[in-house]
Amino acid sequence: MLRTALLLILRRLPVAMPILLLVSFLLFAALRVLPIDAAAMSLPPTATLAEIAQKRHDMGLDQPIPAQYVIWLGDALHGHFGQSIALRRDAGALLANGLPTTIELAISAMIVASVLGVGGGLLLFASRGTWGEAAGDLLSTLLMSVPDFMWALLLLLVFGVMVPILPFMGRLDAGLTRPSVTGFLMVDAALTLQPAVLWSVIRHMVLPAVALGLAFAPPIARVLRSSLLDVYHDDYIRQARLRGVGETRILLCHALKNASLPTLTLMGVQFGFLFGGTLLIEVIYGYPGIGNLMVDAVRNADLPVIQAVGMSYCVVVIGISMATDAAHQLLDPRSHAR
Amino acid sequence: MNAPWLRSGRVIAGAVLLLAVAVCAVAAPALAPHDPGDQDLLNILLPPSWMNGGDPSYPLGTDSLGRCVESRLLFGARTALEVAFFSALGAGLVGTILAHVAGYFGGAVDWVIGRAVDIWMSFPPVVLSLILMVGLGTGTDKVILAIILVDWTRFCRVLRSEVITVTRRDYVSAARLLGYSHWQTVTREILPATRPLLITLVSLEMGIAVVVEAILSFVGLGVGANQPAWGQMIADARQNVATSPLGLVLPMLAIFLCVAGFNLLGDGLRRALDSRQTAVRSA
Repeated sequence: MLRTALLLILRRLPVAMPILLLVSFLLFAALRVLPIDAAAMSLPPTATLAEIAQKRHDMGLDQPIPAQYVIWLGDALHGHFGQSIALRRDAGALLANGLPTTIELAISAMIVASVLGVGGGLLLFASRGTWGEAAGDLLSTLLMSVPDFMWALLLLLVFGVMVPILPFMGRLDAGLTRPSVTGFLMVDAALTLQPAVLWSVIRHMVLPAVALGLAFAPPIARVLRSSLLDVYHDDYIRQARLRGVGETRILLCHALKNASLPTLTLMGVQFGFLFGGTLLIEVIYGYPGIGNLMVDAVRNADLPVIQAVGMSYCVVVIGISMATDAAHQLLDPRSHAR
Repeated sequence: MNAPWLRSGRVIAGAVLLLAVAVCAVAAPALAPHDPGDQDLLNILLPPSWMNGGDPSYPLGTDSLGRCVESRLLFGARTALEVAFFSALGAGLVGTILAHVAGYFGGAVDWVIGRAVDIWMSFPPVVLSLILMVGLGTGTDKVILAIILVDWTRFCRVLRSEVITVTRRDYVSAARLLGYSHWQTVTREILPATRPLLITLVSLEMGIAVVVEAILSFVGLGVGANQPAWGQMIADARQNVATSPLGLVLPMLAIFLCVAGFNLLGDGLRRALDSRQTAVRSA
């Protein structure tokens, strides 16, 4: 099973690699066309024009864009993403600091979204034909009108300010030292057996993860409901009923398995959007992931960081979509033939 | 025929909500008690007039610079609707043209457009619009342009498969046999069939545009500091959320009502115009 999954993912690499390369070039070229002088920005304001020209030459900015791109690509493949202009630190190191945080947040939020979405979908389906169907339908439309950053602000207002039971800034209480083994703080806290740190990390995670999860649950619920409705038209459901199988058992053991395929595909697509959604959630909750890094870089026109962080978003999104495709093929016996 | 969409509760509810927002936007200069940019630094963070310490001349209170919250809400509706209308129109136009070209001609053209969509979609929309705003700078027109450049794929991806389905129908071949040019076939035979989907998408896109504009203004890369926008109000109120939570809730409520209006309208139109779904429901 695992081997097949890996194989399926590997088979998608030849398609994904050119897209990644092209994306990185487009991003690179777009950022170079901007009227931003990276050389002048990395020198003190007293620098003379000659010094700036010298710096431009040192940084390779006087070369044509394709040549600059090749240099960048060579460095990037060796893990060097250049020096942050604003923070004077290696962009790769900044990225390595933030990325695990963002991935942890995205996965937690996806778990929340899946639980709420599947639960909501089953409820919507169970209420078919009653007044609850119309109400649930309307509710899901209204819930979809609340974007993730508004959930974040609402939860912050209610559980952080009005009924202050949860922390809403950063990801660790002051005074606790952060363990560093893998970079994934939650994993590290568990590995180093520090329950106090783990508890603090989880408490800080609740509001951001629930805010993102709430925003992405309604579409999952809707797709699950409609694919369950589709599945119930199939003969094998009637067959099961004739055999005397109970309704709950039909739903959970027969229908849900087949209805989960479209839902899973949607969840893959949603996960890509959700990963982008972490950006604002991080800004609102002061979460030290790549979202905050990106917003700061954008405000400071910090090109190397924008390039590195922008690319890492793309890599994750493309990776997720490859994994979703592979999972779909793995779970749908009909696509094995192809 | 007799316009089934007119009987949909959702369409009516959405239209009423949007009409209310539109009235606020159009009549903002007449309704607003103050100029939305006027600062009254002696009266900052006032509560609404009905609460203790409120000032009757500021019905919904003031923000951290002493600007009238109600006036900013009303003028913010202008910004939101302007961005929603023009960016949905632009993204719809670009996406629709490319979708019809790709779906109708197929082959290499389809492949190129399909890969372009793939590349675009590999960026999370928020990230891509932020990067675009770095290059474009702030301003309402820049926000609209950024949303068009990001969101044309939403139209292109969905409409392309619809165009492919329609192009395979017999009546389209018949039109070609009758000597219709490609242009005539697409505009007279295919476009009418894809129009219901297009209308739905435009309505949903307007809701998305309102959210994106709010997000960009919230981060400070939106319409610019001189133009009132709901996202800016949220960013400002967030600093003082403990003392005046209403300043945060009101612009969020405005965004919610506006987006809910577009979503209800789009959802209602989709149900009313999609013949397949109507058939399933009546079965």
